[in-house]
Amino acid sequence: MWRDTVLVAGKDLRIEARSRVGMSQVAPFGVVALVLFAFALGPDRTTMAKGAPGLFWVAVLFCTVLAVQRSVSVESVDGARDGLRLSGLDPAGLFLGKAAAVAAQLVVLEVVLGVGVVLLFGAKVTVPWLIVVSSVLGTIGLAATGTLYGALSAGLRVRETLLPFLFLPIAAPVLLAGTRVWQAALVGGTPSDGSQWLRLLLVFDAIYVALGVVVYGPIQESA
Amino acid sequence: MSPNQVVHSPLDQTPRARRTLRIIGIAAVVSTAFTVWLGLWVTPPDQVQGNLVRLVYIHPGVAWVALYLAFGLAAVSSLLYLWPRTRSLFWDRLAAAAVEVGVVFNACTLISGSIWGKPTWGVWWAWDARLTSTAVLLVLFLGYLALRRVPAEPDVRAKRSAFVALFASVDVPIVHFSVLWWKTLHQGATVLNPNLSPTIHGSMAWTLLLGFVALTLVFVWMLLVRYRIGALEDWLGRGELNVALLERQAEGGHLPVVASELVGAESVVEATPECEPEPVPEGVTR
Amino acid sequence: MRYVIAGYSIVLAILFFYGVQLAWRRRRLVKAAQRVQAFEATVDDGRVGP
Repeated sequence: MWRDTVLVAGKDLRIEARSRVGMSQVAPFGVVALVLFAFALGPDRTTMAKGAPGLFWVAVLFCTVLAVQRSVSVESVDGARDGLRLSGLDPAGLFLGKAAAVAAQLVVLEVVLGVGVVLLFGAKVTVPWLIVVSSVLGTIGLAATGTLYGALSAGLRVRETLLPFLFLPIAAPVLLAGTRVWQAALVGGTPSDGSQWLRLLLVFDAIYVALGVVVYGPIQESA
Repeated sequence: MSPNQVVHSPLDQTPRARRTLRIIGIAAVVSTAFTVWLGLWVTPPDQVQGNLVRLVYIHPGVAWVALYLAFGLAAVSSLLYLWPRTRSLFWDRLAAAAVEVGVVFNACTLISGSIWGKPTWGVWWAWDARLTSTAVLLVLFLGYLALRRVPAEPDVRAKRSAFVALFASVDVPIVHFSVLWWKTLHQGATVLNPNLSPTIHGSMAWTLLLGFVALTLVFVWMLLVRYRIGALEDWLGRGELNVALLERQAEGGHLPVVASELVGAESVVEATPECEPEPVPEGVTR
Repeated sequence: MRYVIAGYSIVLAILFFYGVQLAWRRRRLVKAAQRVQAFEATVDDGRVGP
């Protein structure tokens, strides 16, 4: 299973490296979203600093939708999905591999967006390790659920509109927990609250990674 | 015809089934009317809440139906569909019916709760854990309904929907325990309170119970009707029927119904025939 | 008390109209199915296929 994971992750990342969709489209979209948020929240720096954690995670969520769409669409051409099923790859490995690829892209995006948030919104970080851990855990959760829902909506012509509608409510706990951790990690927050929410993220991740490993195979069979 | 498709005519509803459904419907209407009468007139106002307590006779009722009856049934049905040994489109149709009715009751829960909340807490809405998780639940199952409208093979659609239903119902225990896990505006459990015996009493308790029963009956009636609608839609939309009709059309036969593309569609386009092939015999069951 | 009346009315109205809609949908579909069944019955008597 792990060998297949590495194989699939490598394939997806290599496709990304060659096409550079992530860097040239998804990341700029995230930055644009942040800028729009800044316009919407207005010039008052205290409001923006307060809103920064939530807006960061919202931007990450939107970028996740794009990244997952991309992850699904690379297999929608030329019967590639059938090819994957025939290849004998372990479906659990397939799931983990695709999720890992999405997660890798998200991590890069989060660094970009995080820097953007600190610069544009004037957020001051007091407890950096909380930020890092929450980002890692949140990314894992988003990648796992995104890949799952991507598979569920794969092959449907309405995938572009349906996937966000299905996926975003499920991802809401990550948004909630991630925002709370960030709030705890900024000036004026209580770092102890942060660990509580980190635990929630951990549970969320564990559930959906386990679910994905088990359920991805049966989902693929019906596409 | 795949072995999964049970092709018997949904028109064949036994007289006993029809009568049972009618009785359930009447019981639902009567008990609901009785609850309203008790709730609005007979029972006294509460010492603390005043007349607002009257909303308590319906709000927990619709919430219970939505969360545990409807969405719980949807989750179980979805599981039964996914389990190879019990796989049958019956479970898929049942889940779909349960979700649609559940969404209606969920909306009623949010609305009745909001109306109760305005005079009590001063706001129409608050982002506490219970309200938020209930709203998320609504959106999750709206997603389920949206997914079902996408045209697909019945087995494919059933499998996808089943997974989505299962993921969505993970929110149900979250809603249930939200008042325990977080400090919420919404009050804790009164009837299912693990620590105390039920904390309301007298005629109010009976009215509350009647409210639960009445709304459950309403749910059952709606579920059964909605199930039948789903069965009829699937039957009308089955591929070989369309093929047969189109062959007849090619031969010059008359088509009383243009039955193309009925899968997932609610509307049936009826073309008036040039001549009735035969009058429909009296007494064909409803 | 206004709120109570509003609450009851809205919830009951929603349930009532949804129930009516269900009954109406069922009626429409049953009629359509009846026509189709009647048509299939006429087709089945004697006509030879292609």
